Parts: sequence; C-alpha cells; structure tokens
Amino acid sequence: MQPSLILQSGRSAWKGPYFVAFPNLKDALINNVPIRTQARACTILPNFVGIRFMVHNGKDYAPVTITQDMVGHKLGEFAHTKKRFTYKMTKNK
Amino acid sequence: MVHVLGVQLPDYQYARFALTAFYGIGHKTAHRLCARLQIHDKCKVRSLTPHQITELAAFLSSPSTSIPLPRMPLASLSYKPPPASTPLAVLKEETKKLAKKAWADPLRTIKIESEARRVVKDNVAHQRMIGSYVGKRHAMGLPVRGQNTQTNAKTAKKLNRVDRRG
Repeated sequence: MQPSLILQSGRSAWKGPYFVAFPNLKDALINNVPIRTQARACTILPNFVGIRFMVHNGKDYAPVTITQDMVGHKLGEFAHTKKRFTYKMTKNK
Repeated sequence: MVHVLGVQLPDYQYARFALTAFYGIGHKTAHRLCARLQIHDKCKVRSLTPHQITELAAFLSSPSTSIPLPRMPLASLSYKPPPASTPLAVLKEETKKLAKKAWADPLRTIKIESEARRVVKDNVAHQRMIGSYVGKRHAMGLPVRGQNTQTNAKTAKKLNRVDRRG
C-alpha cells in the first residue's frame, strides 16, 4: 500500500488503516477456501493478496479475489450493493 | 491576451487569478507561482513584463528541472556555533549540510495540463481495472460518490468516463 493512501483516506495517520483480523487467513490462503465476511469496511492489507473473499452485499455474498492492485481499497468496493434496473414486460416474470 | 504554453491568459485579470486558467493550477499554486516569479498581488496580465512571461513559460514547461530556490535556513534554538578557530572550509561544509535539509519545494512537483489529465485518467483506469464501484460508476457515466441520479447528475454525465478528458 502506498503510504499516501492512509493520508488521503481522511483517517488519522496514527490510527493506521481500519481492518478486521480474520482468524482463518492462513488457512484460507493454503486451502483456497473463501472467507465469508460482512466486514465491508475492512481495508485490504498486503497479506490478503491471493485470498478469496465472499463479501456481503446486503443480500448475499459476492466472490472477490484479492489482487495486488486492490491493496489499500476496502472490501466493500468490490461487492456491489445495487442491481441495475432492467425493465420487464410483465410483473410475473 | 497573453499566450503561455498554448493557454490564453486574459489581459484584464490579475496574474494571480489568470494563472488558474492552466489545468492543474488552482489559487494556491498560482499564488505560490507569483511569489516565485516576483509578480505582485495586484499585477494584471497586461502589465507583466516580457521577461516575466518568458520566465513563467520556462518554469511551467518543466517545473521539475527548474532552478532550485536558494534557501538560507535559520539555525534552531539548540544550535551551538562552532568555535572561532574552526577553518572556513569546515564552516562552508556545515552550511551546505544545513541547506540540504531544506523542505521539498512544492512547486517542483506540480503537474499541469496534459500531465495532470493523465494522472486523472490513470486513476480512473486503475479503478476500472480492479473492478471497484468507483470504476464501475465511471464506466456508466454516473456520479461516483452517492449523489442523486434521478435528476441532475449533469456534470457526471458530461465528465465521468473511463478515458476521462477533463
């Protein structure tokens, strides 16, 4: 993560990034098991790279695979909460 | 009308505000720039001397390679001067060391026009590439930060796209 990202986030630098300590992180990386989580506000740390997450979007869990470029972003940024409106001709479809 | 690096600066404006016509220069940077080039606050563009204009163009064409400001930092309160018997060469070395500590010049790192646009474009492309919400909204041409879209959202529709121009 670039050091400037912490400064840009608007959060005090002394607190560091907000993250959740997942207990099963190592296990997930070795066995390639996705981690189910509702912690959308959790910052993606460098040691999350390669792990699969199932991030809650309010209804169900969206799969997110962490890559190097995602470091510094939040988990919730990759699990979209809104569905695009599509018009259906009949109600009972 | 004065042309500097392809940007028109209107004659009747204060130099300090006219400089904001450059993409990537706001009031703060313009003020700094004027201070650097010794253009006073109430100086209008029409009264800039040709020398000042060439200096401005020279500075803005490559801010990173401009001549660094000579800085004479003040000694701190705890500074103890060396004894009078110190040779001159040692004293000179010490002043050099002090001068090196000088702060990073904010004007040397400014990016204007196409460079600044490229930074914006790169940031959007990064968001799009990693598939985040921000990138998705840019691709849809909609506001990124939760604004209403039922009405308005005109600026976002105009500007937000993956290869953003403005």
